[in-house]
Amino acid sequence: MELESALWGEVRGRPGAGLRLRGMASVRAAECRLSHNTLEDLPVPPTFTPENLEIVFLSFEGPDQPYSQAGGLGVRVAQFTRSLARQGFSTHLVFVGDPDRPGHEVQEDGRLHLHRWCQWLSEHHRGGVYEAEIEKVHDFQDSVPAFVTFDIVAPAVAEGRRVVVMAEEWHTADALSRLSDSLHFNGLRQSCVLVWNANNDMSFHRMNWDRIGYVADFAAVSKYVKHQMWDCGVNPVVIPNGVPGERLETVDPDAVAAFRRAMDCDLWFFKLGRTDPDKGWLEAVEAIHRMRLEGLNARLVMKPGAYETHGDELYRHMVWRGLDRAEVVTDDRSVAGIATALGAAPEAAVLDLRFFVPDEILPVFYAAADGTLANSGYEPFGLVGLEAMAAGGIAYVGSTGEDYARPLQNSVVLDDAADPDEIVRFALQLKDDSVLNASIRAGARRAAELFTWEAVTPIFLTRMSHLAAGQDVVVG
Amino acid sequence: MRIPALPIPRGADAATIEATLFDDELNQFYFEKVARWCYRPAIKLWQDLLDRGLALGLGIPLSTLPQFEAWDPELLGELKALLGHENCEPVATEPYHAVSMLLDLPLFARGMERSATGLEELCGQRPRVADTTEMLMSSDIARTLARTGFDAGLVDGRPWIMEWRSAAHLYKERGGLPLLARHFDLSDDVGYRFSNQGWDDWPLTADRYADWIASTPGDLVTLAWDFETFGEHHNVDTGIFEFLDALPDELAKRGVRCLTPSGAVDAFGGGAHALPLSPFPATWAGQHGGLEFFLGNQAQQAVFRLMTAGYGMAKLTEDPDLIDLAYLLLQSDNLHWFQWVGREGSEADVSAYFTPGEWMWLGADRLLWEHQRVYINFIDAIS
Repeated sequence: MELESALWGEVRGRPGAGLRLRGMASVRAAECRLSHNTLEDLPVPPTFTPENLEIVFLSFEGPDQPYSQAGGLGVRVAQFTRSLARQGFSTHLVFVGDPDRPGHEVQEDGRLHLHRWCQWLSEHHRGGVYEAEIEKVHDFQDSVPAFVTFDIVAPAVAEGRRVVVMAEEWHTADALSRLSDSLHFNGLRQSCVLVWNANNDMSFHRMNWDRIGYVADFAAVSKYVKHQMWDCGVNPVVIPNGVPGERLETVDPDAVAAFRRAMDCDLWFFKLGRTDPDKGWLEAVEAIHRMRLEGLNARLVMKPGAYETHGDELYRHMVWRGLDRAEVVTDDRSVAGIATALGAAPEAAVLDLRFFVPDEILPVFYAAADGTLANSGYEPFGLVGLEAMAAGGIAYVGSTGEDYARPLQNSVVLDDAADPDEIVRFALQLKDDSVLNASIRAGARRAAELFTWEAVTPIFLTRMSHLAAGQDVVVG
Repeated sequence: MRIPALPIPRGADAATIEATLFDDELNQFYFEKVARWCYRPAIKLWQDLLDRGLALGLGIPLSTLPQFEAWDPELLGELKALLGHENCEPVATEPYHAVSMLLDLPLFARGMERSATGLEELCGQRPRVADTTEMLMSSDIARTLARTGFDAGLVDGRPWIMEWRSAAHLYKERGGLPLLARHFDLSDDVGYRFSNQGWDDWPLTADRYADWIASTPGDLVTLAWDFETFGEHHNVDTGIFEFLDALPDELAKRGVRCLTPSGAVDAFGGGAHALPLSPFPATWAGQHGGLEFFLGNQAQQAVFRLMTAGYGMAKLTEDPDLIDLAYLLLQSDNLHWFQWVGREGSEADVSAYFTPGEWMWLGADRLLWEHQRVYINFIDAIS
C-alpha cells in the first residue's frame, strides 16, 4: 500500500494527471525513492562504452531495400545501427529481411550484424516486410528470444559485456517479454537492459502494456509520442531519431542549380513518403493547385512509397483539380541523369518520380526545392523534415513529433496541417523574402547538427545507463 | 469383431478365443466389397498416375496383409507391384491400426519397428517415414518415432496444432522428428467434400484443384487420404477416378513437382521449422482433429477402459498369443464406430457410415452392450 501511494503521489502532478504508471522499472524507481534516503545510496548508473556494451535492435523493418523499408522505422534502425557500429559498438539488428539475401551478414568491420529473420515466410510473401505480418510476428516472438539469449547475450556476458536490447514497435513487444523470461531463466536478465521503443502510435491497442511494462522500460522518439503513451499509462524516456552525419555535408551547388534549371518554374516543392492520409498528400496537392490559381507556375515533384489505397484518392484529387501529372522515369540515377529526366518531362504541375531515388540524390532535391512538404498531420518524429533541414532545405513540417523544428528559425511549422492555405501563405512569403529564406536554410543546418546519429548516441547511452540502474543491471 | 458377442470358455486357448472374438466372414465380405470397388481399380489407376509423375507414400497396416493373402492373393501381388514403383514408397503405420500409442509407448514403438520390417519384407524397401493410426500425433508419439529410427512423421495440419503456421512447410518437433503437416483443407476437399453436392465448390475438377495446390504459398503441400477415398468413400459414379486421372497433367502444367514423403524430407529437411506439439494428440479424424473424436462420449470411454483392462490382463498372463489378441482389440475402429453415440450431424454420419450395417438391427443400446460384452468376455476368459 505504501508503494502504491508513493506511485500515485509521484504521478499526480504531471500533465495527464491520474495516469497509472506501469512497469517494473517504474516500480523499482519508486522503490529506490522509498528506500534510499541519501544521494550516496542511489545506484550509480554505469558508463557504457564499446568495451562493455553490446547492442541489439529487434525490428520488423530494416536496411534491405525495398523489402524491409516501408517507412521511417527502416531508415531509423538502418542508420542508427550503422552509426553505433561505426562508433565502435558491437551491434546486432534482428529484422524481417529480404529472403534472397544472406540470413546473417556482417558489416562495418565485423561490428554490425544483420540477422535476417522470417525469411522462410518472406520467401513466399514477397510483397514486403508487412505481408503475412501476423505469421511473421508469431515466428519472430517464437524464435528470436532463444536466439538472442544464447547466440548474442550469453557470449557477450561471458566476455564481460552487458547488452542493451531495443525492441521497436508492437511487432516485437511479445518477443521482448519472452526474451526477458528466457534471460531470467538462464540467469542473464541482470546483464541486460530491455527497452521497448515506440516510433508511432500505430497498434497501441495491440499492446499488452502491463506485461511489457513488467519486464522492460519504455522509450519514444519524440515528446509527442511520449505524451501519447501517457494515455496508455506508461512514461517513456525520449531518444530522438537522427540523420547520418554525412547528410550535413554541403550539397553540391552545381547539382542544386541543375535541378532548379530543370524545373524551370516560379516555385516547386518536393514531397516523398508513404501515401498515407497522415502524410498530408491531399493538402500538398491542393496547395499547389491554389498557388497556380494565384497565377504562379507552381509544381510538385513527388516520390510516393509503395502502393497504398490512399494513393488512388491522391491521384483522383489531382484529376478533379485539373492538375496534370507526368511520370518521370530514368535509368540514369546520377544528378545529371535525373536533372535531364526532370527537364525532359512534360511541363506538368506534378512530376511523379517512378524510379528509385538514391539516398545521395535526396539532399539535392531538398536543397534545390523551394520547400520540402513534410506536412504531416501526425508525425511521430518526421525524419524527412530533418533530412531536408540537414541539406539546407526549407522543411514544411506539422506540429506533432517534430521536436527539432522551430517556426521560421529553421523550418516552416504548420499549425493547421489540414489547411492548404497555410502552406500557400508561407510559400508566397518566403518567395518574396530572400533574407528569411536564407536564414531558415542556415538555421535548418544548425538544428540538424544536433540531431545526427552521432549526437543522439550520447543521449541513448546515458538513457540506457540510467535505465540499467533502474533494472538492477550489474555492470562488472 | 463378432457381434452379438459369443461366450468364451474360461481358459480357452488363443485360437479359440480369436475365432470367437472376430467375425472373419463379415471381414471377408467387406474386404471383397472394398477390393472390388476401390482396391482393384484404384491400384491400377495409381500405377498409371505414378508412371505419369505423381508420387505416393502408401501405409498398409500389417494386419491386413494376411487378409489380402487369404482372400485375394492376386490383389496382393498388384499391391506389391505398386509399392515397387519408383514413385511409390511404403510408409510405416501402426501394424494393427490400433491406439497402442495412447496406452503403451514401448508397445507402439515395437509395433512401428515391426511394421517397418514387415513392409520391407513385402516390397524390399524399408519405410523411412511413419504415419500412425488415424494420424494421431503428439509430442510423446513424435519422440517415440524419433527414437525408433524414423526420419519423419505425419501430423494433421489442424489450426489448433499449426496455430499461426502454414501447413505448407516441413516442420520439426522439439524432440527432433521432422514432420510433414497434412494440408487439412486441401486434403479434405478430396477426402471429405468431393462428392458433397451441397459444397460451394462442387463439382471439384482437377484443373481447379491443381490451381489451388499451385497457388498455396509455401514449400510443399502434403496431401493425405484414406486409400478407400477412391471408389469406396466416393463411389465410381462421383467421378473420383476421372478426377484423379486428370490430376498429374494438371499439376505438371502448373509446374508442381510431386515427391514421396521421404523425398520431401530430403528436399526440405534442412530448413525444417519448429512446430511445438503437446502431449494431447492431433488426429486427422473428426471435425476438430483432437482426441475427442475417439474418446468424446461415455460409450467410447467405456470401450477404452475395457481395452486397457483387456490389454493389462493379457500382459499378466505373459502369453504372447493372448497379448497379441488384446493388441488386436485396441484397433481404433472400436472407438471410431461409436463416435455417433449421443451426437448428430455430419461427423456422426461419417462414424455411423463406418459402423457395419449388419449390427444395426440390434439398436443402439444393445449394440453398445454387445460390443462391450466382447471385451468383458475376453477379460473373463483369460483371467
